[in-house]
Amino acid sequence: MRNYIAVVFNDTTKAYDGLHALWQLDNEGPITVHGTTVVHRNDWGEYQVDSKDTHPALATAVGVGIGALLGALAGPAGAAIGAARGAAIGAASGGAVGAVTDVARADTRDESREETAFVLGAGQSAVIADVSEDTTLAIDDRMRELGGLVHRRAYGDVRDDKWFDDYPYDYYLYPYEYIPPYDPWWA
Amino acid sequence: MQDTQVKDAVGQVRSATQQLHKAISDAAAKRGGAVKADLQAVPQMAKAAIDSIKGSMGAQNDVAKKRLAEAVTSLEAAGKHAAAGVQASGKQFQTAVRQTIADARAAAQKASEAVAATRTVATAPSARK
Repeated sequence: MRNYIAVVFNDTTKAYDGLHALWQLDNEGPITVHGTTVVHRNDWGEYQVDSKDTHPALATAVGVGIGALLGALAGPAGAAIGAARGAAIGAASGGAVGAVTDVARADTRDESREETAFVLGAGQSAVIADVSEDTTLAIDDRMRELGGLVHRRAYGDVRDDKWFDDYPYDYYLYPYEYIPPYDPWWA
Repeated sequence: MQDTQVKDAVGQVRSATQQLHKAISDAAAKRGGAVKADLQAVPQMAKAAIDSIKGSMGAQNDVAKKRLAEAVTSLEAAGKHAAAGVQASGKQFQTAVRQTIADARAAAQKASEAVAATRTVATAPSARK
């Protein structure tokens, strides 16, 4: 079965341990990882997505796309909401598209604050991944050992969300293990 | 033994597509002429990955074959967009870089799905002996 997962950790270092463990499981064979990233939310509720210093043309879409995915992982109602939050992330990156989207969906923003908190609370970090797994045990057991809480939503259900076409977040999940080579401000 | 060889071939294809995505996204993090210099190497890298896929497709199951064929399509698009990017400037250049990364991401995704397909077959009850 194919699933999107969000594994929430209270500690940033543990989130990177979780990321590494996912790719280790892929290497061992019980799961196949199609893409991963790490998302952080600071004590003020702001989101930051681990990424390379991508070309400015890409910066806004990173925020919108991953915000939509966070919302989608919170369930059908969270999909639209996550997109609004994602737009805020994109706007923080300096992109015009994100700002426009944020204004267009401002009516959903208050609701979004509660819905996305289901996946990622203030001060927490999450590993977001697209995986194929025969059972949920391999990931659940390994993440539990590391102190992570796994949220899971079927790939097909996420793709059925009407927001999916608007925000192609798949390509913001790195198709290999990627950890930024610097000390981020939120660590 | 044959299962292992088949899985290894698909795994190598996946590694090649991952490396391509990494190279392009690393290049995109640079500025100006440095991006173009790196972009010039992309069509050749994409072609090498395509050759690798075509060399290993015959031994795959139907699902894996389909995914690998889709990966070839994305790799061909990546090569074309990268070549177009080298010739372009301004907004057209930015668009070409963005498309090349998206194509490479799609190729890596399809290769990864092919790996999942071979693993599913390998662990299915009928495959166990």
